[in-house]
Formats: sequence, structure tokens, C-alpha cells
Amino acid sequence: MDQNENSEQFVQQLTENQTRLYGYVYSLLGDHNRTSDVVQETNLLLWQKIGEFHPKKPFLPWAFAFARFQVMAHLRDRKRDRLLLDAELAETLSGEAKRQAEKIDSVREALRPCLQRLTPTNRELVECRYFKAMSIADIAAAVDRTVGAIKVALLKSRRRLAECVQKRMAAEG
Amino acid sequence: MNSLIEELELLIFDWEAGTLDDAGVQRVREILSTSEEARTFYVQQQILNAALKLDVNAGLVPPKIPDPAEKALAIESRLKKGTSHVFRVSYWAVAVASLVICVLTGRLLQLEFLRDNQSRPVARNDIGTRKEQKEPTSEGIALVTRLVDVAWEANQNSHEVGDALSPGRLAIKSGFVQIEFFCGATVIVEGPSELDLQSPLLARVRSGRLRARVPPAARGFSLEVDDMKVVDLGTEFGLSVSPEGTNVQVFDGEVELHQLDVETRLLSAGKALIRSAEGDYSETEVTPDSFLDIATLESRVAGQREKRYERWQRWSEELRRDERLIAYYTFDQDGDWLRRLISSLEPINSELDGAIVGAHRFPGRWALKDSLEFKRPGDRVRVQIPGEFNSLTFACWVKIDSLDRWYNSLFLTDHYNQGEPHWQILDTGQLFFSVRHKADDVRGPAVKEKTHQAVLSPPFWKPSLSGRWLHLATTYDADVGRTTHYFNGNVLHEESIDEELIVKTTRIGAASIGNWSIPTRPDSEFAIRNLNGSIDEFAIFAASLTADEIKEMYENGKP
Repeated sequence: MDQNENSEQFVQQLTENQTRLYGYVYSLLGDHNRTSDVVQETNLLLWQKIGEFHPKKPFLPWAFAFARFQVMAHLRDRKRDRLLLDAELAETLSGEAKRQAEKIDSVREALRPCLQRLTPTNRELVECRYFKAMSIADIAAAVDRTVGAIKVALLKSRRRLAECVQKRMAAEG
Repeated sequence: MNSLIEELELLIFDWEAGTLDDAGVQRVREILSTSEEARTFYVQQQILNAALKLDVNAGLVPPKIPDPAEKALAIESRLKKGTSHVFRVSYWAVAVASLVICVLTGRLLQLEFLRDNQSRPVARNDIGTRKEQKEPTSEGIALVTRLVDVAWEANQNSHEVGDALSPGRLAIKSGFVQIEFFCGATVIVEGPSELDLQSPLLARVRSGRLRARVPPAARGFSLEVDDMKVVDLGTEFGLSVSPEGTNVQVFDGEVELHQLDVETRLLSAGKALIRSAEGDYSETEVTPDSFLDIATLESRVAGQREKRYERWQRWSEELRRDERLIAYYTFDQDGDWLRRLISSLEPINSELDGAIVGAHRFPGRWALKDSLEFKRPGDRVRVQIPGEFNSLTFACWVKIDSLDRWYNSLFLTDHYNQGEPHWQILDTGQLFFSVRHKADDVRGPAVKEKTHQAVLSPPFWKPSLSGRWLHLATTYDADVGRTTHYFNGNVLHEESIDEELIVKTTRIGAASIGNWSIPTRPDSEFAIRNLNGSIDEFAIFAASLTADEIKEMYENGKP
């Protein structure tokens, strides 16, 4: 096969699977900055292994294998940092994380209509917290409520979002 | 949802919010290692978090806060142009390919940014030491605008008119306080009352009686009582809170009563509701007269002001005869001033009258009293005070608009010769006083010995004091060699003068109030020192007044 064509296919696959890699790595690390780092390290690694890439071979399991390797390396290297999971737990969760990360684009698709179904106030809270990355204390100050009240409202909204997303995905699937 | 999953949900939420402690992390691990269901739930939650994050990154909901990543993107798009020729493929593939390149270069860029971020605090500190780089801030959510006969609760800071109030408790035993919230709502609180100020739009009322006036611009201002929230829809209403219950009366417009799990009630003008301690509601008559309104408070304030003016006048009449006085200007003269600031010393000595240059008459501490406003670089009052003295005291009532100059003059002798005092405020808000001890060294600045000891107070000034009448005083005790600065009747700073630099004989001669008459020396290193503000009383004594006497001056003169 023409090498350029191979590269082209590789790039296409890698691009298409960025969100899934992100979902997988984030599930195991629970931190957006670290996840970005590890996904980029994985991309770099995959790029170096382009020779092993074959368009006929399923791309995602191959990429996940590298991502898993990078996550474990990260968990081992950063032992002294505060991490949610240890390497052992991450291994246990890796299979489930792969299964769900494959479907992350459906989650994203379902999210939009589900967000619309929240009350305007709750939607605003979710937007402040997750899209504008405001801290709970800042939100509380901005809307004149206590931190406790904002937390309860956000937890409820999240639960509603999660249920809605699950329902829509079940209906689609 | 079972309790284990609920617990995990809360833990994951806290982790994501950055508030989970080590014990919480341990608990997450415990739960995950014991339950299959918990693991599935955990991954669902994390995928949801990742999906929410990806939607932001995809630009569906653009983040409002500027992000270094945006800068990176801009750089990447420039890089694309230079790297695209590597792949001789169709256009979209070029885009995708360059994305990979960018992922790689992006990593490098990110590392750059990281390094950048780490070095930034150092740079910021460098900048931070330069005052003009830092925008000044002030705090508060409301202003005290009127006080009538107020007695503050024992464990409560007392406030003056013009003070900004920060969130927190406000408790008075008796009297009336008028508070203007930054949202525009005005509240008159009658003692005894206890409030908890929360934000420019919200206060909790623990007990007491108050009246709120909320113009349309401040609509939405609310007062909370227990679990009830009184939300104003642009109106005037009264609220009285006691152990027996809460009484809400609407005099004008409408208010909403919000309560968790209870339907919102609308209360319109002329209606009053009592909510008993048990939570039952009953209608009642409105009694607007039992809640003091702004106009009545204003007239009481005016009455109080008049009393204070009269008290000051009586005290000032007495002071004129104080034998220690060497100069006294009350700025309280009748008729046309004819550019003269009349000396208020008794017996009358018109030689001590000051000549007004540039400065304008302006209202003083009270509407009935004048002051002089110093604004332009030339504004000043010229005085000539003959004689030789020992100790000195300077005192004045001043309203500072801002401290624009390095040195903002209160009183400076024309030159700075041996025995002459200089009294001024630095741009840092420090009160400055010194008496020249030695003459200038003719051998030049290189071998200059210390000629005087400048006594600097800690900064007393903050921008929120702008436009308020302040009492400043400084005493110089020539016998023991001690300078003391006072601010509003209290000691601000005390300092002993170096034995070698104590001046026993002081003199004034030609001098200026509110400015400095620049000596006509060619090598003059002095710049503009005019005050930006007003003065409405100025006294100089040939003695070092005691702390009690300064306090008395303040108490008898405060507006």
C-alpha cells in the first residue's frame, strides 16, 4: 500500500477516536489536565508505531492498548500525587472503561437534548460548573445561595442528566 | 439507587469539584473494589464528565474565560500552513494530518505553556511591587448613609457615615441606621435589631424592625427571615421580626414571599401579613407610621447635624481664647470673604489673616459652614505667623478627594530652614511631619548630613475615605523629642526623635495651607504639592497637646 495512503487512513482513524480515548483515559484518571497529557502521549506513541498500523485491523482496541499502557505508566510515575484510583483498581476498571468509552459519542449526542430538559436554573448551574468551570463557591456567591444548596442542586441535575442519557441510549441501542 | 451508589455519587462529585479529602479517596477505592455495580456506575459518571468536558472543547458552549488553549489553537492554525505540504493528499486529510502534527506540536507548546505558567508568579511579583500596576480594590456590599442616636451592640464594630459594610453581622441596641445596598435598595434599621448582611442583594434579618425602599433598578432585593424570603418587586415595605413572629407590610408596590416547598405568596400595597412562630399566616392592618421612613429620618439627621454644628460652634468659641493657640482658622466667616481667610484668634489680630490664592469656597462639614477647596496646582492660603516657639501641635479637619501628589500638603513653610515644620501626606496615605534641624550643607548633597527626622505614620488613607471629613493632628514635643500623629482622635503613630535631631526652637514665618510656595532656587528639586480636597478648620498651638485634648477636638468637631 502507498505509504501516503496508509498515513491518511491512520490519521483518519486517530482523529475519529480521540473522544473515545479521552473518555477511556478520563475514566481511569478522573482529571482533565492529566487526561489531556496522557491522550497526547498516547497519540505520540501511536504515531511512532504507524508501521504496525494496518487499515484492515480494528483501530480502537490497538489504540486502547497503548492508552492503557500510558495510564498505568502515569499511575506508577505519579504515585506521590493525589490520584483517585491506584494502578490495581485501574486495571480492574479498564475493561468497563473501554466498553463505555466506545459509546461516548452517543453520550454526547444524548447530552444536548437532555440538557434542554433541565429547568433553566439548573441548566445554568450545569453550564456554570461544567462549561465555564466555575467553582461551586463562586457559583454560590454569584446566585446568592449557600454552597450546600448549589451542591444539592448540581447533584440532582447531574442525576437527571445521567438518567436521561441512559434512557436515550437504551432507546437508540 | 442504593445507598452505596449514592455515597459513591457524592464522592465522585466532590472529587470532580476538587474537595474530596484523602479519606474520601480511600472510600472510593473501597467501594469500587467491592461492587461490580459500583464500578459500572463509576465509569458512567466519569464518561458523563468527560462528555461534558468534550462538549466545551468542541466549542459547542464556548468557555467565556480566556484560555491559554485558545492561544495554542491560534498558534496551531498558523503552524498548519507550514506543515501541510508533508502530506500530498486531499484537503480534508491535510487538515486531519496537521491535527496530528498539532497534537504533537501542541504537546510541545503545552510544555512551553507549563513552563510559562511556572515562571509567571515570579514575574507577577516583580510587577506587584510597582504600585501603579495594581488596580486598587475596595470591599463592601453596602454603605452606611445615615446614623441617628445609634448605640452599637457590644461585640459589633461601630461604623461612621460613609463606611462600606462587608458581609457579616450588623447589630444595634438603639437608634436608626440607614444602609444603602450596592444594588440600590435603601433600608432603615431601627434598634434593637440584628441583621446578617450577605450580598448587595440579600440580607438575613434575625430580629428587629426595618423599612426597605427598593427603586425599580434594585428589584429582586430580598430579606430572609428563617426559611422565608421576602423578595421585593420594586416597592416600599416594612418588616418586623420578633420571637412571636414576622410581620410583613407593603406600603407601595408588591413583594413576594418565598418559602421552600410552599407556594409563593404575592403581597400587594396596603396588605400586611403576620407569620407566627408556628408558621401560620394571618392578615393584619398596615401601620406605615410604625416604620420610620427616609424623609423622617432625614429630618432627624438634619436636627442632629444642626445640634452638632451648634456644639462645635460653642466649643470653637472657647478654643479661640486658648493661650497656646498661635493660629486658628474656622472657615466660618460671614458675608463676602474678599479672598481673606480671617484669623479666628482672640484677641483679634488681622495680621494673622490668610490670603486665599485660587482656592474656592465650598460647603464644609455642615451645610451652614464653609470650607476652602484646593484643586488646582496653584491653590493655597498664604499665611504669615511670626514668633519663635518650642513644642507645636497642628490640627485640621480635611476632606481629601484623592492623594495625587507624592507630597500632598497640609501646611508647609515656604522654605525649609532651621526650625521650620513641614506637615503633609504622602501618596501612600502616610502622615508626614518633620522639623528642619540643620541648615543645608553648602558642600552639596554628596556630603549632606541628615538634616531632619521625618516622622511617618502608617498609611491611614484608603480610597473609601474619599470625600469624608477627617480629623488629622500631629503633636511635636520639643522637650522630650517626640512626634505623635493622630487620625480621627486616635493615636496613629508615635516616634521619638533622634537626640541629635531634636529642634528646641521652632518658627514658621511665611507659609502655605494646602500647598507649598516653591522656593525660588534654581536647583529646586521640589515639585507640585497641592492638596486635592477641602479644609474647613485649621489650628496651630505652641504646645504639644495631650491625647485627651486631641480626642476632645475630634469629638466636638465631628460632623
